[in-house]
Amino acid sequence: MSDRTAAQVRAESPAREAWRMFRRNIPALAGLVILSAIVLATLYGSFFYSGDAFDIVWAPHEPPGVTAEFPLGTDYLGRDIVAGLLTGGGPTLAVGAAAAAITMVIGITLGALAGFFGGWVDNLLMRITEFFQVLPALLFAMVLVTLFSPSLWTIAIAIGVVSWPQTARLTRAEFLKIKELEYVTAARAIGARNGRIMWQVILPNAAPPLIVSATLTVGVAILFEAGLSFLGLGDPNVMSWGLMIGANREYILDAWWPVTFPGLAIFFTVFSVSLIGDGLNDAFNPKLRSR
Amino acid sequence: MSLLEIDQLKVTFDTRYGQVTALDSVSLAMDAGETLAVVGESGCGKSITALSVMGLIPQPPGKIAGGAIRLAGEDLTRASEARLRAMRGAEVAMIFQEPMTSLNPVFTVGDQIAEAILLHQDVPRDRAWKDAVALLERVGIPAAAARAQDYPHQLSGGMRQRVMIAMAVSCRPRVLIADEPTTALDVTVQAQIFDLLNEIQRDFGAAILLITHDMGAVSEMADRVAVMYAGRVIETGTADSVLDAPQHPYTRGLIGCIPSLDTAGDGLAEIPGVVPPLHLLGAGCAFAERCLHVRDTCRDTKPRLTEKAGHHVACFGAQEGWL
Amino acid sequence: MTALLEVRDLTVRFALPRPAPFQPRPVLEAVRGVSFTLEAGRALGIVGESGSGKTTTAMATIRLEEATGQVLFEGTDLLGLSDEEMRMRRRDIQLIFQDPYSSLNPRARVGDIVREPLDLLGVGTPEERRQTVRELFAKVGLREDQLSLFPHQFSGGQRQRISIARALAPGPKLLVCDEPVSALDVAIQAQILNLLARLRAEMGLSYLFISHDLGVVRHVCDVVAVMYLGRIVEMAEAPDLFAAPAHPYTQALLAAAPTMARRKSKGFSRPMQIEGDPPSPINPPPGCAFSARCPKAQALCRETMPELRPLNGREVACHYPG
Repeated sequence: MSDRTAAQVRAESPAREAWRMFRRNIPALAGLVILSAIVLATLYGSFFYSGDAFDIVWAPHEPPGVTAEFPLGTDYLGRDIVAGLLTGGGPTLAVGAAAAAITMVIGITLGALAGFFGGWVDNLLMRITEFFQVLPALLFAMVLVTLFSPSLWTIAIAIGVVSWPQTARLTRAEFLKIKELEYVTAARAIGARNGRIMWQVILPNAAPPLIVSATLTVGVAILFEAGLSFLGLGDPNVMSWGLMIGANREYILDAWWPVTFPGLAIFFTVFSVSLIGDGLNDAFNPKLRSR
Repeated sequence: MSLLEIDQLKVTFDTRYGQVTALDSVSLAMDAGETLAVVGESGCGKSITALSVMGLIPQPPGKIAGGAIRLAGEDLTRASEARLRAMRGAEVAMIFQEPMTSLNPVFTVGDQIAEAILLHQDVPRDRAWKDAVALLERVGIPAAAARAQDYPHQLSGGMRQRVMIAMAVSCRPRVLIADEPTTALDVTVQAQIFDLLNEIQRDFGAAILLITHDMGAVSEMADRVAVMYAGRVIETGTADSVLDAPQHPYTRGLIGCIPSLDTAGDGLAEIPGVVPPLHLLGAGCAFAERCLHVRDTCRDTKPRLTEKAGHHVACFGAQEGWL
Repeated sequence: MTALLEVRDLTVRFALPRPAPFQPRPVLEAVRGVSFTLEAGRALGIVGESGSGKTTTAMATIRLEEATGQVLFEGTDLLGLSDEEMRMRRRDIQLIFQDPYSSLNPRARVGDIVREPLDLLGVGTPEERRQTVRELFAKVGLREDQLSLFPHQFSGGQRQRISIARALAPGPKLLVCDEPVSALDVAIQAQILNLLARLRAEMGLSYLFISHDLGVVRHVCDVVAVMYLGRIVEMAEAPDLFAAPAHPYTQALLAAAPTMARRKSKGFSRPMQIEGDPPSPINPPPGCAFSARCPKAQALCRETMPELRPLNGREVACHYPG
């Protein structure tokens, strides 16, 4: 009677299975290694490399590789760039992650409600979304930060408030598409409530583009923070990569290194986060598993 | 010599499971004016057979590993790509399953038929257009001249399939391949298309290769039939002989499992299990795992087609009479 | 026998997008005043072509589509229940879909899919629910070691078995089957149809069975309703309907279905061959919807809509039946 084809696959917990898939994805693994290295360095770097990032320790604009004590040189005030990178990483990453989290929470909630319920709910939420979308994001964030005095939290919130519309639209589009599929009707037919259908049936299936979008948002948030700091709207009491670039930008023609190294740090962080996002997307897609 | 002869054709595909044999020793022959139905479940190789004749097997991953396809004596497996292009549409034409996706949505149907004519015939454009309208009329489209100006999305599914048929017969092909031509259509429209294909055959004398999974369609459409399973022809002969006296247990199962209009059954005949994946085929008969009459010989050796009860069957049980 | 399900004057309307700003939204009536009765333990088939409204009728009956009219399930009007009351009632009425590929959540394990209705209803302890799922798997012909696999690891026929197991989980009285075998190969079709027949006998289920395939309906159903453009045009006990169809459309459907009884070699002409495609439900003709394609149509047919009337133990909506 029974069909006899399905390959015998051992049962594993979903997380374990996802990890097994992730491990096979070389670029994603590389991303994880790079990001881990960056996070570890910003968390524990100061144990091995002493020095305050704000202290003036040497002559200004010492090029990298000349003095063994300051391997990446010094900036326009004579501050150590390695110390800056190690201290500035933490706030940069924290702001990026917090801003991405805020973006995702607002965007997914509103997008899901709009896509799922449709009708006037959708109309209202989408008009609000459009209102936020047509605001010039950077200017609006600048206004928010200026109004509430720059601190890591206000910066994260400002970035979150200006970036959620895209996530909301993406979530809405996914919900609109998935809610028409039969397995959603099937969930309704067995008596599932709307909340369950939204968060436990549709959302996991909408996850792949959202995970990718979330990782990209981390990247955008880090760049946003750098932009605000670059414009002098960062928290001046907290060292961050953006602040380093912003402070040194005027002297870029005389000294490339004080801007380039934090720039590279931002680049590698954003890059590794994107690689991990792609890997997660593949790992959580059961259809790719048996390949 | 038959009009179209497929002789011991072997087609392989490279897959992630290694090389699999999609068609194995497939031999078929058709004469002008007759309909051969190739019947089987999905994955049996019936569509691959059709694509091989058209020279449309994607290579790679596909490969014609042996045998020949002879159209009026000319071996198409050795023909150049240019020769195949000239042949497609003109000598061998194809009607696809899904008429919506096989018509180009940005051109009118008249244009598309005229284009098919111009591709193979050296005629002026206005003449091709007139021919296109005449063809639309021939396939039963009312107000053909006006309809020719329509885009595919303005037509119903049945009308689109008629347009496909008009396009396919536009160059009076000798062989018409119809790959599940009515699967996407409603049953009353399906009957119209079947009747139209039969009429077209009478008028144009084309040989029709009908790919189907429906034994009822075989009965209404085919002169001869080939039943395929896992890439091999397992039973072939005239439609009457095969349908009235099926020899292979698979053919019997296929006929028995149709919920028929004529009998209200209590239980349908059932073929247990599913078609084995091609990469797991062993040395024996591919049907052995699902066969109720299986013996050791079946698992060791592949049976070959031999004559039995007026047609050919590849089954040790049928051949040796212990079924 | 008692009526398990009684549908009265069921109508489903869809509002279409406005053709231009400030114009009224055109309304499409997908189902127009459909009434039928399903007795406990029986199987009622609804047949029709695309656009006939057969699936919409089924969906409206189980309130997965907004409708007007009455749907009396064991005497209670489902259309009058609150959302929460309807949710609790769903355990009695379950659904099997056409497409075994899109009806199972691709990100859930099949064991969880089958257990979900039990979890939602809070039936028994978690261990009892898992035991129930194992029993259901055995009942539909699946193995216990397949419980933790994902839907894509199964063939079409096996997925339909999973769908059936999920539908059986809450212990329903009525199973609504929407084209349950039309996506399957013939050999697999037979397996699923036999399974459905066995389950019905064993569990005393009633089926509301939607299909375009007359052979399948004949095999499964006791009573058959033929729909055309949102209305029932003929309803009869299955043997009567197939032996002597009274409505010209039913006759045409029977003549169109490919059958091994007709042979090319012997030549045949269909007893009833109709032209054209089913019309669009957006602008139905004023009279009988079938009149445009009906070879027997008279002036009366084009002007007046025939009502569904009793005729020799069946019901037919035709001015000139037989």
